[in-house]
Amino acid sequence: MKLSESALAWLFVGPALLVIGVVVVFPLVYSLWLSFTDVNLLRATGPALELWGMRVPLFHWIGARNYTQVLADPLYWDSLWRTLYFVAAFVAEAALVGFGMALVLNERFPGRPLLRSLLLVPWSLSRIVVGLLWIGILDFEFGALNGLLLRAGLVDGAIAFFKEGWSALNVLVSVYMWNQAPFATLLFLAGMQSISEDLYAAAEVDGAGYWRRLWFVTLPALRPIVFLVLVLATVNGFLMLDLIYVLTMGGPGYDTTTVSWHGFKTSFTFFKFGPGTAILYTLTALCLLLTVVYQRLILARFEPEA
Amino acid sequence: MTRARYRGGNYRRRSAGSRIVLYVTVAAVALWLVAPFGWLFVTSVSYQRNLLARPFRLVPPEVTFDNYRMILGLVRFHAEGQAGKILASMGNSLVVALAVTGVNLVAGTTAGYAYARFAFPLKTFSLFALLFTRMLPTIVLIPAFFIVFRALGLQNTLTGLVVAYCSFTLPFTVWIMKAYFETIPADLDKSALVDGCNRFQAYCRVILPVSGPGLVAGGAFTFMLCWNEFVVAQILNTRPGTTTLPPVIAGMNGQINIDYSVIAASGFLGALPAVLLVLVFQKYMVQGLTAGSVKG
Repeated sequence: MKLSESALAWLFVGPALLVIGVVVVFPLVYSLWLSFTDVNLLRATGPALELWGMRVPLFHWIGARNYTQVLADPLYWDSLWRTLYFVAAFVAEAALVGFGMALVLNERFPGRPLLRSLLLVPWSLSRIVVGLLWIGILDFEFGALNGLLLRAGLVDGAIAFFKEGWSALNVLVSVYMWNQAPFATLLFLAGMQSISEDLYAAAEVDGAGYWRRLWFVTLPALRPIVFLVLVLATVNGFLMLDLIYVLTMGGPGYDTTTVSWHGFKTSFTFFKFGPGTAILYTLTALCLLLTVVYQRLILARFEPEA
Repeated sequence: MTRARYRGGNYRRRSAGSRIVLYVTVAAVALWLVAPFGWLFVTSVSYQRNLLARPFRLVPPEVTFDNYRMILGLVRFHAEGQAGKILASMGNSLVVALAVTGVNLVAGTTAGYAYARFAFPLKTFSLFALLFTRMLPTIVLIPAFFIVFRALGLQNTLTGLVVAYCSFTLPFTVWIMKAYFETIPADLDKSALVDGCNRFQAYCRVILPVSGPGLVAGGAFTFMLCWNEFVVAQILNTRPGTTTLPPVIAGMNGQINIDYSVIAASGFLGALPAVLLVLVFQKYMVQGLTAGSVKG
């Protein structure tokens, strides 16, 4: 029996696409539907979809009312502006620290392989553990940083990092950066290693020092990678939830409530799935936009070499 | 020869000043990367009273494994009900992570191979859809899982978690494997076909055996994502004993009656498997992930 190539290809991708259809596409569509209905988790009756003996409740279509309700809430807009600040600060910190670490790791020094391994430690931790270990450092009572600062006489009293909203938000940014910057470093390093050495040789012959070589050779060659790091960090910034859960729970007040946390709380603390999915869908729309950017501006550029 | 010199220069030929600058920054980076995790270990072998003592001491005056004995259920203490869940939930984490990794390696690898080798209708579109699912907020899917799992009785089951976890791991695995297979010369498949294999035999008998590094990269990354996942498990599996490790640790963190040093011990113990896995397979994971991120 001889199959055509495209039939064969579909046989190969079939299982994966089937699984993705069931566990991604179906929930995605169903959540979109929920965002246009009056979901009530306690009511068992009402319209439902019968699928292979399973009863999927459909609830009642109420149009865009969830969206208008969510968008009329000042809390949504406050969280959105806060999220934009969070994302901007996180992207800047992760890209800068990630790039700085890549510059160091690209040098030759004894122990470099070891340091490259250690790079992966913050990145391989669960964000629950990441939050936990930073509590051990930043806590008001037993935090190591406060202990060190006090002993060195640099502060008069312990610093309450999470007591005030602005400080708590910025601590969240930096802790998340600690966890995520290593991945940016990996991408930068991969990019740096693919830059031709002739370029550096030529620049050095022309009398360019370290910083000029960095500016005129390294950075231009890394442009696509920089862009990639920025897009991935932006998405990760918008989606971050778990660190907020361990470190601030969105507080004090609403001062660290981002859009994703707002959607999470509305859905799973108050169990208002209608407005909750509406909030989360505004995030999903943003991610779709960023996917288009990623595909058009990054993957398309790498294609000719690959 | 010139390789070492121009890529960042040869350290023996640096001036003393630039060598000092380099070593200081290297030390700073090393400290930044490991000191926080190292401190988690120190707190996990300390008594809470020593952590609270001021003036502060970096080297704990007493070292104890009591915190580990407590969470492992070897000694009785006032919060043993909560701490006793650590081992059971680690078992749950292991089962879920292994099952998801298995599904990913079977389905994701075959799909990755097809994307790397075949031209077929809707290829570009389905690749874009995969990329989108990779960037999707998983949390938006959870209300749907919540309602459907309730209808199916999959709430508070490990099967439910395995199903839900495939939603954010499988698109990644397909992408990583596709990038990996693209590094294997297509001539290898062709010669297998010439030798009388069909496409499927060529894949199973010729390509898969030389794909170890790619499989390790995809498998280890999937395992790490599942082992560390918190939000989905926290929402879907709320009944005691049915959830994975991260929600249990996060739950202890909220309790006033549990010392930080005990929570630190569970955090350190829970982090070890993923950290060791990543350190052991780092070479393959780094290659797989960087290639998977930059190649269309």
